[in-house]
Amino acid sequence: MRELFHEIGSTLRQNKLRTALTGLAVSWGIFLLITLLGAGNGLMNSLRGNMDQYVSQSISVEGWRTSKPYAGYKENRRIQLDQRDLDYTNGTQWKGTIGNVISATASSSVKLMLEGRYADGWLQGQMPFQQEQDKLQMAAGRFLNDQDIREQRKVMVVSMAHANILSPGNPKALIGRWINAGQIAFRVVGIYHTNEQDFRRSCPIPYSTYKKIYDRSDKVETITFTVDGLNSLEEHEAFQEEYVGTLRRMHDVAPDDKRGIWVMNGYTENLQMNEAAGMLSTALWILGMLTLISGIVGVSNIMLITVKERTREFGIRKAIGAKPGNILSLIITESVVITALFGYLGMLMGMLACQLLDKTVGQRGVNIGFETIHMMVNPSVDVNTALNATLLLIVAGTFAGMVPAWKAARVKPIEALRAE
Amino acid sequence: MALIDLKGINKTYDNGQPLHVLKGIDLSIGRGEFVSIMGASGSGKSTLLNILGILDNYDSGSYHLDGTLIKDLTEKQAADYRNRMIGFIFQSFNLIGFKTAVENVELPLYYQGVARKKRHDLAMEYLDKMGLTAWAHHFPNEMSGGQKQRVAIARALITRPRIILADEPTGALDSKTSVEVMGLLKQLNKEDGITIIVVTHEGGVANETDKIIHIKDGMIGEIEENTRHDAWGGSIIK
Repeated sequence: MRELFHEIGSTLRQNKLRTALTGLAVSWGIFLLITLLGAGNGLMNSLRGNMDQYVSQSISVEGWRTSKPYAGYKENRRIQLDQRDLDYTNGTQWKGTIGNVISATASSSVKLMLEGRYADGWLQGQMPFQQEQDKLQMAAGRFLNDQDIREQRKVMVVSMAHANILSPGNPKALIGRWINAGQIAFRVVGIYHTNEQDFRRSCPIPYSTYKKIYDRSDKVETITFTVDGLNSLEEHEAFQEEYVGTLRRMHDVAPDDKRGIWVMNGYTENLQMNEAAGMLSTALWILGMLTLISGIVGVSNIMLITVKERTREFGIRKAIGAKPGNILSLIITESVVITALFGYLGMLMGMLACQLLDKTVGQRGVNIGFETIHMMVNPSVDVNTALNATLLLIVAGTFAGMVPAWKAARVKPIEALRAE
Repeated sequence: MALIDLKGINKTYDNGQPLHVLKGIDLSIGRGEFVSIMGASGSGKSTLLNILGILDNYDSGSYHLDGTLIKDLTEKQAADYRNRMIGFIFQSFNLIGFKTAVENVELPLYYQGVARKKRHDLAMEYLDKMGLTAWAHHFPNEMSGGQKQRVAIARALITRPRIILADEPTGALDSKTSVEVMGLLKQLNKEDGITIIVVTHEGGVANETDKIIHIKDGMIGEIEENTRHDAWGGSIIK
């Protein structure tokens, strides 16, 4: 093997320019492939990351508007979830499937006031688990706890944006202060992080407190719960069919009306996301491969010319004892070495380009009103992709060398030696 | 049995029009002989040489080389026999341009799978024999014609072949160098007992050999014993 590489080394050194030009096509192909895949991964990562704030492995249901008339009602009727739905969700028939009913929210807008300063807020009756659900990071104090719910305490969590308005200069001093929300005073127990562009204005207070003060009715805005033991798309769909189907019956929504009751299932969303990611990655692979093919054709083309130029050399080699197999492996190995070497170079450049993307596009956020999203998060390719690409290069090199090698192996020594 | 034994060799080329090149060649050459095959161009001497060198096949007859029947070989077998039994010397040297002298000489052993170190040592030994030690690491285009032909001779000898086939070995050389190269072949034959067959159309070159086989129109003509080297006035000068 070492001998073979020595042989190849001397021919490649002999034709530096040609070798470099041939290699460039392959480098370019692999460079594009890696950069495309990296950018695609970055895009998917960003999509996943942005979704993460809303979706976890839980199911949320919310009343919406009907899209078709049913049971004597006209279409476009507002559906309002209520205590019955919550009781149904908490019911014994779902024991083992529905775990924690982690939140039930109700909300209304409110004006926050402290010492003559005002801020607009969105009062929300929440359960303690909502913090995890919304992925809220506390800047100071704490989130709501079970005791707040039990004792229907008048406590409130505000955002950093609120705190900055109400207590300029020293937002954290707001903890423990009583602020007016409309007619009622709440004690601030916690401040959650918001960044500068973030316009989240939700002010969580205990769900029980909210219901008692603002909403004597049994209306429920959103029901969110975790599920156990559902491990496939089919199981999720079957569960959803039954659970949401019952809700639809309870609210006189047509069984096939998807809009009457809105469902957000983190698990199936995730599956769909993965499917989309898979499709994107496949599409990028195909694009990259097509580019690579033009590189391979280039290698093959130049190898053909090389073989023609070296006809005499192959004739000599055969006359002094080279078997067709020797010549075949010489050319194929030469092709593989060129493709692998320059392909590797292209791969490194591609990875560098991904780093560059990360440093530029990846750092730039786009403000979409209530928060900032990143176009790309960590655009890069994993080890597996790199290994696949390497394998692909070797296969590609073999293919590129095949026709020229076959031609070279068929050189007849007398004819080659006759050509002066 | 003689080293080379040809019986009723026929060869026809068919390039649109059949061309009967060799018409029943019977020839035997013994071990240690120094022979030349002479003929005008088109006489069939090159074809005969190609058949002797297992570079080409024949239509009918038989060719035994050192007792082995050379017939209907696969390319792989032919390559193997060429490598082990035959050393070639060509008119245009046929050295590989991007390899140094010593790498060129090593090449036949590379195809035998001989280890690099051993190969290199042996190649240096043969180059030394040709008086080319100082030129071992030079490329062919840095050498004179005579030097190149001596590298080629070293390459032909390195596998210790049964026969050396030399196709117009002096064709590209000036007369002084021609004398040297023929002297070298003669010396190899006398001192090392190597069987050498020279194909030429030059009387002066043929005269250096011990036996001259004339070939004409695809048939063996006169076979001259030439141990006194006086067939052509004893001169190699063209």
